[in-house]
Amino acid sequence: MIFELDLPLEYRLEAGWLARWAEALMQGTALARSCRQCGRASFVPERICDCGCSEGSWKPVPGKATVIRRTSGLDGNFGFVRFDGADTCAVVALEGFEAGDRRGELIAPAGSLPKLIIRPIHEEVPD
Amino acid sequence: MVSVVGAAITEFGRRIDGTSFRDWAAEAFESALSMSGLERADIDLLACSSESDFFTLQLNPASVIAGDLGLAGAATFRVEGGGASGQLAVHAAANAVKSGQARHAAVVGFDPSASQLPAATVKELYGYSFDAWTDGMTGASATALYALSARFFMQAHGLDEGHLAKVTIQNRANALGNPGAHLGRRHSEDEIFDSPVIAAPYRRLHCSPLSDGAAAIVLSANDFVPGSRRSAPRIRGIGAASDKPRLGARNSPGQFRAKSAAMRKACESAGLEPGDIGLAEVYDAYAGAQLQAIEALGLTDDISCDSLDGAFGPGGRLPVNLSGGLMGQGAPAGAIGVGQTAACALFLEGRHRSSLQPAMPPRFALADTHGGVCTTAAVTILERGSQ
Ligand SMILES: [Zn+2]
Repeated sequence: MIFELDLPLEYRLEAGWLARWAEALMQGTALARSCRQCGRASFVPERICDCGCSEGSWKPVPGKATVIRRTSGLDGNFGFVRFDGADTCAVVALEGFEAGDRRGELIAPAGSLPKLIIRPIHEEVPD
Repeated sequence: MVSVVGAAITEFGRRIDGTSFRDWAAEAFESALSMSGLERADIDLLACSSESDFFTLQLNPASVIAGDLGLAGAATFRVEGGGASGQLAVHAAANAVKSGQARHAAVVGFDPSASQLPAATVKELYGYSFDAWTDGMTGASATALYALSARFFMQAHGLDEGHLAKVTIQNRANALGNPGAHLGRRHSEDEIFDSPVIAAPYRRLHCSPLSDGAAAIVLSANDFVPGSRRSAPRIRGIGAASDKPRLGARNSPGQFRAKSAAMRKACESAGLEPGDIGLAEVYDAYAGAQLQAIEALGLTDDISCDSLDGAFGPGGRLPVNLSGGLMGQGAPAGAIGVGQTAACALFLEGRHRSSLQPAMPPRFALADTHGGVCTTAAVTILERGSQ
């Protein structure tokens, strides 16, 4: 015997220590987390650096990224990318990418969530 | 030492037969208890595993399951670690028995992953099981994240669609021999290559299904193993480890490093090498993930050759996923790890219902489970009992 139930969930999600990063993302800009001890810049930010240091500052980076690997299909288009000025990589949604496109730039997401989305830009891949 | 005195796995699949996850949990437990020769009152600890309250709509499920199983009075709790939940529950129960907290412990894993919510809702919820604030909100599906990881691995090891197809064909064929499996099939390469691309390189036939089901084991401390179960398999070693949840933060996004670390710990505690393993149930959420797992577990020196040469087939050097694995037997999240350990115990004892039950079971078997894109890894090594 089946009983049906609709359960709407209205979350209020507090970004906490990610607030500065998420706020920037909503405007289509990128803030990396820069380690105070070794200077390593993480984007997506890591709260604790690989060197073990927990102190860092928010550092604006250009918001441009190079696509290293990509996947596409019924689930959408996604890339494993490295943002300029960052020492770590990130998974982003690729919007409007053609087969040969390798470079992209963050855009402000539509809607209410801080999504990581890049659109292609036509320039050389930096060394 | 801890013995696996009882083990049972329900049918996995999309259960639309008027039963609920509470029925499956009871069915698995009663069957494992009956095999153990123990009484209900002997069980002094119940570890449950289910991945998400969203699936069951039952918070604190262990309390309700304990009630259904007539185990009021026993210590009860639920263990959750994504896809690894079941194996982590096995570890928690084994540690409780080893420490003397419990003489006899039951582990029951279950999830209604297929029948209680629409598949699209389950998929969206799974999207929040990686980093919800980045991968989740961006909308990257589990398949997309696994696909990106597989891309790195496949390039590093020279693997192509042929290697992926081999895994699908093998696991689904293995499942044909397992009467409780969700997707026993005889697939052709063409059928796989023609199936829709979900997130390249993954096509639909490279993915494990959403399934309903439950599995259970009963563990006993060495001094309290029932007389009839003196030859039951034993847990020889366990290991668990983790990796960074976001692929982009990892130095080697194609490598399942948490799994390697978990395996190292399990081998150390068992005093064994990966080469001692004679049979493995491996976490094949996707075809490529099985290859990544086998490599990370140290079970091959050449994943490309070994996988094409049939080293991991039923007649090979190291049979992998004789049950059919997640891809063939099915994947009810919380039941997976318990089911893998139960399958290993049953195979070692010569009691698995699969037609692929080896006539001469090996001495050691490995149950390998993970959550995330191998963010949370948990492995268990079992040893055949002495006759
Ligand atoms: Zn640092």
